[in-house]
Amino acid sequence: MCRNRRADRRIMDMEVRAVKTMRPSEIAELMQKALVDCAGAASAEELEAARIKYLGRKGALPAIMKGLKDLDPSERAEAGKLANEFKKAVSAAIAEGKRSSGKTAPIPGRAPSFDHTLPGLWRGLGSRHPVSQVIEESVRIFSSLGFTIADGPDVETEYYNFDALNTPADHPSRDIQDTFWLKNGSLLRTQTSPVQIRVMEKQPPPVRIVAPGRCYRRDTSDATHSANFHQIEGLYVDATVSMTDLKSDITYFAQRMIGPDVKVRFRPHFFPFTEPSVEYDFSCHACDGDGCRICKKSGWIEISGAGMVNPKVLKSVGYDPEAVSGYAFGMGIERIAMIKYGINDIRMLYENDVRFLGQFV
Amino acid sequence: MRVPINWLKEYVEFDATPEELADKLTFSGLEVEQIESLGAEYVLEIEVTPNRPDCLSIIGVAREVAALYESQLKWPDADFKEGSERVEALTSVELLDPAGCPRYTARVIDDIKITDSPGWMQERLTQCGVNPINNVVDITNYVMLECGQPMHAFDKKLLRGERIIVRPAAEGEKMATLDGVDREISPDMLMIADARKPVAVAGVMGGAGSEICGDTTTVLLESAYFEPTQNRKTSKMLGLVTESSYRFERGVDIGKVEWASRRAAYLLAEHAGGTVAQGVLDVYPEEAEERRASCRFAKIRELMGVAISNRRIVEILESLELTIEEQDEDSFIVAVPSFRVDLECERDMVEEIARIEGLDKVPDDRPRAEIVPNIDDSALRAVFECRNRLVGLGLIEVMNYSLVSSEIIRKFGFDEGSIVPLLNPISASQDVLRPALLPQMIETLGRNRAHQAAEAGLFEIGRVFRMDKDGKSRESDHLAVGLMGNVGRAIIDKRREAAPEEVFLWMKGIIEKLCSSLRVSNCLSVQKERPYFRAGCAVSVEINGVECGEMGVISLELSEALRVTEPMVVLEMQVKHLLQSVYTVPQARPIPIYPSIVRDVAIVIDDAVQSEQVTELIRKNAPPELTDVNVFDIYRGKGIRDGKRSIAYSLTYQSLERTLTDAEANEFHESIVTSLLKELDAEIRDKK
Ligand SMILES: [Zn+2]
Repeated sequence: MCRNRRADRRIMDMEVRAVKTMRPSEIAELMQKALVDCAGAASAEELEAARIKYLGRKGALPAIMKGLKDLDPSERAEAGKLANEFKKAVSAAIAEGKRSSGKTAPIPGRAPSFDHTLPGLWRGLGSRHPVSQVIEESVRIFSSLGFTIADGPDVETEYYNFDALNTPADHPSRDIQDTFWLKNGSLLRTQTSPVQIRVMEKQPPPVRIVAPGRCYRRDTSDATHSANFHQIEGLYVDATVSMTDLKSDITYFAQRMIGPDVKVRFRPHFFPFTEPSVEYDFSCHACDGDGCRICKKSGWIEISGAGMVNPKVLKSVGYDPEAVSGYAFGMGIERIAMIKYGINDIRMLYENDVRFLGQFV
Repeated sequence: MRVPINWLKEYVEFDATPEELADKLTFSGLEVEQIESLGAEYVLEIEVTPNRPDCLSIIGVAREVAALYESQLKWPDADFKEGSERVEALTSVELLDPAGCPRYTARVIDDIKITDSPGWMQERLTQCGVNPINNVVDITNYVMLECGQPMHAFDKKLLRGERIIVRPAAEGEKMATLDGVDREISPDMLMIADARKPVAVAGVMGGAGSEICGDTTTVLLESAYFEPTQNRKTSKMLGLVTESSYRFERGVDIGKVEWASRRAAYLLAEHAGGTVAQGVLDVYPEEAEERRASCRFAKIRELMGVAISNRRIVEILESLELTIEEQDEDSFIVAVPSFRVDLECERDMVEEIARIEGLDKVPDDRPRAEIVPNIDDSALRAVFECRNRLVGLGLIEVMNYSLVSSEIIRKFGFDEGSIVPLLNPISASQDVLRPALLPQMIETLGRNRAHQAAEAGLFEIGRVFRMDKDGKSRESDHLAVGLMGNVGRAIIDKRREAAPEEVFLWMKGIIEKLCSSLRVSNCLSVQKERPYFRAGCAVSVEINGVECGEMGVISLELSEALRVTEPMVVLEMQVKHLLQSVYTVPQARPIPIYPSIVRDVAIVIDDAVQSEQVTELIRKNAPPELTDVNVFDIYRGKGIRDGKRSIAYSLTYQSLERTLTDAEANEFHESIVTSLLKELDAEIRDKK
């Protein structure tokens, strides 16, 4: 509004001055003002007013032309040239003003009821389940380090789930996992580690695989456990694989998956199929390790177990533990999904409520 | 394992707060789960992993603390003045199963007066979660907690024949254990017996018949080493896990069996008025061999990826009471003390060095990329493609449990013999592996309806399980899609009710689009009869000519049971057929350059005639210039007789070689329409 009023005043000033004979410098100055007025015109009416003031029959241009003859001959030629330029430039500015004001003005012939505020009608995208998103993203991250995917059955034999993983029946390490058994003597795998054995049996070293899949334990379900859950198993066996490789690769994963500042912490632990064995934690991304509700004030979130493949396991698949070493890790997918998406009850992941799942588009 | 800190301090000096100590232990492998404050005492609750039975005792933990704080372990007193009578004169030990019991010791303590144990002892037992009973029993428990060696005290006057026999149970023997249960014992179990009958299940629990009681005056004290595997079997067979069996099955310190007996005798003399008979019966026919591991410094560094010096390696192992026997600059031989049953080889030493040196010393900033050649996992990746296309088609992915209720599965009419049941389910609601995805998909639609979602478009890709005739379970990956209500309509049109046929056709559209994007051909055929589908509203799905799935409208009964009034349509099929051509690369074909001409025809046909029959007839009679046939309108009502409908088709004509003239197009069209009307006995719908 303010700007428009100022423009009006300028136009009136010009009217007064335009009656006298104008020297070339004055014509040039007037042209600048005319161009500013045209560009500043806020409506078709203002633009028309400017056109009349500068180009109209009683406007500035005819007055300039009329005054040319009274000028000193030394200035006349230049003033004539400027007057022509004045006409060309101001006409162009008015034409441009009309074109751009047309963009918002209704175009004759278009339906008058065009309402862009009605809801969009294109069918929506669906959404991936958070667990399946984390699986695919994990696979993608590990792929970038050269891992390929491997797979194994959910219904396993005792041999692959326990014996080949250095967990004999008469050893207390069997007690760690409460197992579902089938009537035919098979079992539901308690971990994705049997895939390690299946892959190594088929393939000579080097081996570098990740194996996502479902696992089953007889835990009663609560906010952080469910009877079936997903894991990603990682296995890397080659000439000289070290704990540094293990920690660095997991850290690389954590930083890609959760955030660039996430750190990984190892705690010594025991698994029959790795030696040394560790449990590993991610630093809490929610509080940057300062301690909050999510990490139970510790600054760290427990993720899963890992370690250097036990030479006994390598031997059981016919590898030479003197020639190769390896690392293995498990990773709880639900756990990572819960951290990544801020989900605090694992059961939400299996309720399949569309109001919940629809958030992960 | 519960560890009162003041008790711990009797054996090792260290300067740290309970929190600092807990941290240090946790990061060296003894995870402190909780610090409990009991008056002036702090009790650490430690999770001892199965490989570290030596830490199931206060002294074991003190040994770790000594290594961590560069301190010295102090052993408690075990020296006392013996009585005049020799133990050999009072009893004897006969070891009939040296494999199951490599070492057995017995002492006899006379003049016992049964009272309460001293207050400090009761307090410590209580702090460790053990109920005080009387001085004799408390002392055996105290020594077990102190050094990890389980002990048993028999009332000697209740033992027959002045001898202890360590033997397998005889066929048909029975015994009553201390907990008052009569137990069937079998010859696989190891017994402690007197001259007549078993008096204890070795390493698990004593018998009720020889229990210490108020009038006990002479105690026979057992301290032994029972073989872990055998012990675990016995404990499993009896379904009986005790503090004692828990330790034996993990492995006690065979080298300290006699010391523990001496320590307990010392305490009995001190706090139960006992006179300890001279000597000990220590039957140890074959002394356990000392374990030795030969190790290479370079290999240890290589496995850790940490530059740790030879000197530091040796220092760490020595702090853990391991003995370095031979050493040069490349390698060394280390002797393992008897209490460390978990250490056998070089690799085990790496763990010891890593955990004491600190795992925080392991670098984390050297991720290592390596391609393993000639590995093809494209088949496993293909399923990601499938999932992403389904999301692109507007469906929400769900995930249901693999375990379902057999009762629900039965209602769906699956063949009983093909179901895979669990032997030990947690509950009846999860007692079999799912044979299909449909039951849960339908239930999921219903549950969402109950949450006021009037529509849903869902999919799941998951594993299903079937039992073979030969009793083997087979698993395969399936896809299920479920549609409910007006999910296929634009938001502004939601109030217009969708008929079951329409929802079915949305589903058909989904499978068509999915298949064409995965470059397989699909067709629907043969009406399926299923208890869960509405009669006449279900079909089987074929991919590249192979039947591999089914889809249909959910039956009214099932809908009603779920309180869903909106139509529900579900599909289930095997995934592998969908994925066979994912990686086929489409090859560009020339786009026709000559313009096409479209002609429409609307015909009135019996409801019984299916749309596809009409299109097939159109194509049958068509010249090669007919490039496309589409339905664009279906009409029933005014002007159309009952039992009939009008279907309008648009036919596209185009030549790859030239521009068709209107006259040519008209001629093609006329000939198609004429033969169509003749073959179908149909009529053209009046254009009015
Ligand atoms: Zn936090």
